[in-house]
Amino acid sequence: MEYTRGGRPVPRGDLERWVTFSKFGDAELVSLTGEIDLANAPEIGKAIVQRIEKAGKVLIDLTTVSFLDSAGVRLLDALIGDLNDHGTPTRLVVGATGAARMTLQLCAFREDVLATDLDRAAAEISS
Amino acid sequence: MTQDLRPPWDEDPDDLYEHAPCGYLTTLPDGTIVRVNQTFLSWTGYARGELVGHRRFRDLLTSGGQIYHETHYAPLLRMQDEVHELAFDLVCADGRQLPLLVNSVLARGDTGQPRAIRTTVFNATERRQYEKELLLARQIAEASERRVRVLQQIVADLAAAPTEAEVAEAVVRAPESAFGAASSSIYLVDDERDVIYAVASTDPTTGNWDDMPRTSERAVARVAERGDLHVVGSVAEARKHFPDLVENMRRSGRNTVVLLPLTTGPTDEHSTLETLGVLAFSFKGERKLTDGELRVVRLLGQQSGQALDRARLYDELRRREDRARFLAETTRSLDELHRLLPRTRRLIDRVVPEIADWAEIRLQVGTPPLVEQGGGPRPDEELLTQRLGKVAASGEPVFAAEGDQLDCSVLPLTARGLVLGTLALRMTTNRRGIAAEQAFLVELADRAGLALENARLYEQERQIARTLQRSLLAGDLPGGDSRFAVETHYQAAAHDLEVGGDWFDAFMITKDKLAVVVGDVVGRGIEAATTMGQLRSAVRALASNATGPAELIGGLDRFVERVESARMATVAYVEVDLADGEIVYSCAGHLPPLLQEPAGSPEYLLQGRSAPLGSKAGDKVRTEHRRRLPAGSRMLLYTDGLIERRTRPIDKGFELLAREYARRRDAPLQGLAATLADTLVGRDHSDDVCMLCLTLGTEERIERTIGADRMQIALLRADLRAWLVAHEIEPECRDAVLLACSEAVANAIEHGYRDDPFGMIDVVATATADAVEVRVTDRGTWRGAVSDVARGRGLQLIRESMDQVLFDRSDGTTVTMRRSRREAG
Repeated sequence: MEYTRGGRPVPRGDLERWVTFSKFGDAELVSLTGEIDLANAPEIGKAIVQRIEKAGKVLIDLTTVSFLDSAGVRLLDALIGDLNDHGTPTRLVVGATGAARMTLQLCAFREDVLATDLDRAAAEISS
Repeated sequence: MTQDLRPPWDEDPDDLYEHAPCGYLTTLPDGTIVRVNQTFLSWTGYARGELVGHRRFRDLLTSGGQIYHETHYAPLLRMQDEVHELAFDLVCADGRQLPLLVNSVLARGDTGQPRAIRTTVFNATERRQYEKELLLARQIAEASERRVRVLQQIVADLAAAPTEAEVAEAVVRAPESAFGAASSSIYLVDDERDVIYAVASTDPTTGNWDDMPRTSERAVARVAERGDLHVVGSVAEARKHFPDLVENMRRSGRNTVVLLPLTTGPTDEHSTLETLGVLAFSFKGERKLTDGELRVVRLLGQQSGQALDRARLYDELRRREDRARFLAETTRSLDELHRLLPRTRRLIDRVVPEIADWAEIRLQVGTPPLVEQGGGPRPDEELLTQRLGKVAASGEPVFAAEGDQLDCSVLPLTARGLVLGTLALRMTTNRRGIAAEQAFLVELADRAGLALENARLYEQERQIARTLQRSLLAGDLPGGDSRFAVETHYQAAAHDLEVGGDWFDAFMITKDKLAVVVGDVVGRGIEAATTMGQLRSAVRALASNATGPAELIGGLDRFVERVESARMATVAYVEVDLADGEIVYSCAGHLPPLLQEPAGSPEYLLQGRSAPLGSKAGDKVRTEHRRRLPAGSRMLLYTDGLIERRTRPIDKGFELLAREYARRRDAPLQGLAATLADTLVGRDHSDDVCMLCLTLGTEERIERTIGADRMQIALLRADLRAWLVAHEIEPECRDAVLLACSEAVANAIEHGYRDDPFGMIDVVATATADAVEVRVTDRGTWRGAVSDVARGRGLQLIRESMDQVLFDRSDGTTVTMRRSRREAG
């Protein structure tokens, strides 16, 4: 047994700390939380791809993400690209301010897939 | 009138000569018969005319006799003029041989010339017969003596044979040496299985080696039943009495078979004899055994029977000893392991392969049940499940029986009347002594049941203790205050020991006073965990703004008087005034805290020391020591598991800890304690380790060094974030700095150190009223402009989020980034 406050280096395979899956209406909801960076983005990406491969609609919620780096952006960029190719309606829900919004803005991420509110994003892809 | 009596001397000399009780011959010196009496003619069947003048004496002898005549008779007679009692065989007229004793006298003339030989001949038929008998008797006596010698040797061998197998081996050799048998085999009676089985043979190509029931019609079984010697004199006899022998006798060319029961019991009382086996031996050609031989054969049967009986007792005794030893060793060996799973595994390893070729333990603890098995192959699943269910339900063992399809014994594992689970096993061989074997298995299952139940209870208690300890150690610690940060680490001993009594705590006494404490309670297990909780509560209760550490420890001494299990516990207790950075500490028998000020080397805080809590012999004057720490100081409290090793003196441990601590002075606080524990004790540690690391105040500049490992970026970011917050940097600027710094470090890892996983990255950040400046340095290799799209985006982010960015690639890469604290443009 071992437990450490403040933590040791990020354990792998413990992905629920950053990503969980659920349904929002008829859309697959991917909820990301905490710090998404070079250390965990590749594993998170794999988990998401596995889950949403056959989804009809996808919502990715970034509102509780406290840090997002370029590896995280790369992950989102690839996801959106693939979903677009498949014609899957998709929205990224991200707060109007905050670390994730800042990073996405600095990268000039596509504004048309960004939303600030989950309900509104769900409504957008339903119509 | 008188009747003339013929006086004996008046007998007619002619008649006397002719009918004398011996034969008379007169021959010329050359042996030619010239006169012969009627007695001789009657004995030999010759007519007078055939002999006289026609034959020489020697012509009447057998050829051997003629040679003897030549070499002995004639020369002796010539030298001595007479010979006595020479034995000859004479060939009669009808070819019959007549044994004779011959005396001859050589008569000489006046001049000494041989004139005639007079010979008397005695019929030696009977005497010769007698001699022959004597010779035969001697031969018989010699044969008998040889048999007795062989028997004596066998008896000696039997006495030295401690096991049934060795007895059988000695007995099976006997008939060849004693009686000249062609081959022999030995069969033993198995009382419990009620069968007779073959164990040894001098010629395995003969005979039938299948087990036979004792009631079988086969000759061996019949003889065993009757308990008396039986000689099958010929194939014809076999056909009549024991048809099962005929085929074998014919095939192996045997004509006589002796079946000898090997018996034990008082020799005088025939009825109580017990037959333990049968010795069968056979002869090529029909062989008559003499009475003497038969007596010896019977004796052999008795001696062998007794030896077998003795060996069986020895075997039994030895097996019992083995079993007792096995049980004792198993109990001892199980005691060495406390936890349920290892103990179960150990039991399987004891049983397979020593007494079983497959075994399985099934314990009804939790769902799914605990199942451990060893050996193989696994028996039929369905049959096994049935039997397991039956045993679990009834609590009674089911043993493998003869002809059992499952061939497995299943025993309940019980403790305090409850069935805890089952022990199923398949025995390696079909052993003798089934009753004893079953008793042994029952005892094994009893012991196993008890040992496993104890392990289960231990497991339960351990779980409770762990839960208790976890709830105590993982409670909320103060945080979110930029004036300090606390990092803790606890790791349990590697070897499945019970929970230890190491503990830590940190709490606010007032809003400006922080208390941190690390302690160690004597003992392990649930009691240690409970005591730890009580002590922790006592510390919290005793701490107040008015009392200092020395007084608090004194209070703990009084507490220990009532809570005996806390006696001799050690405590390091520190109060921190967050307003002015002053600390007051006291150590009751505990290892000294280790302090690292921003400048200088680490030092152990060696003042304020006194004896463990409730110590009767130690120095109980509780003292404390006061000291002011500059901002950025780090203090480590720890328990002995961190530095004590059996293999090195404690001084070395202190030295090592100080060195490793100093080496990490620039490492992020997060993960520091865990990394130190990894370095100092590794994974294979025999004691618990408990650590609490406290960082005080806000550093003017933050300097960190991390390895080129993407996992460490988050740790660095945590420190940097805390530092930015402490300097009250605006959120937008803070997020920008964090992003840029992360990207710069990621760039160093993925680009500069792409081929060097051991590279180090230095990060220095300074804050002024106007701006934050961050410098990230690596000593990796510059490989020209970044072409990778992803890294390109990282560099873009750095440029976009910071106001000024400068790359210096003169020695590795140094990125210097500056961001204004006012709203970025």
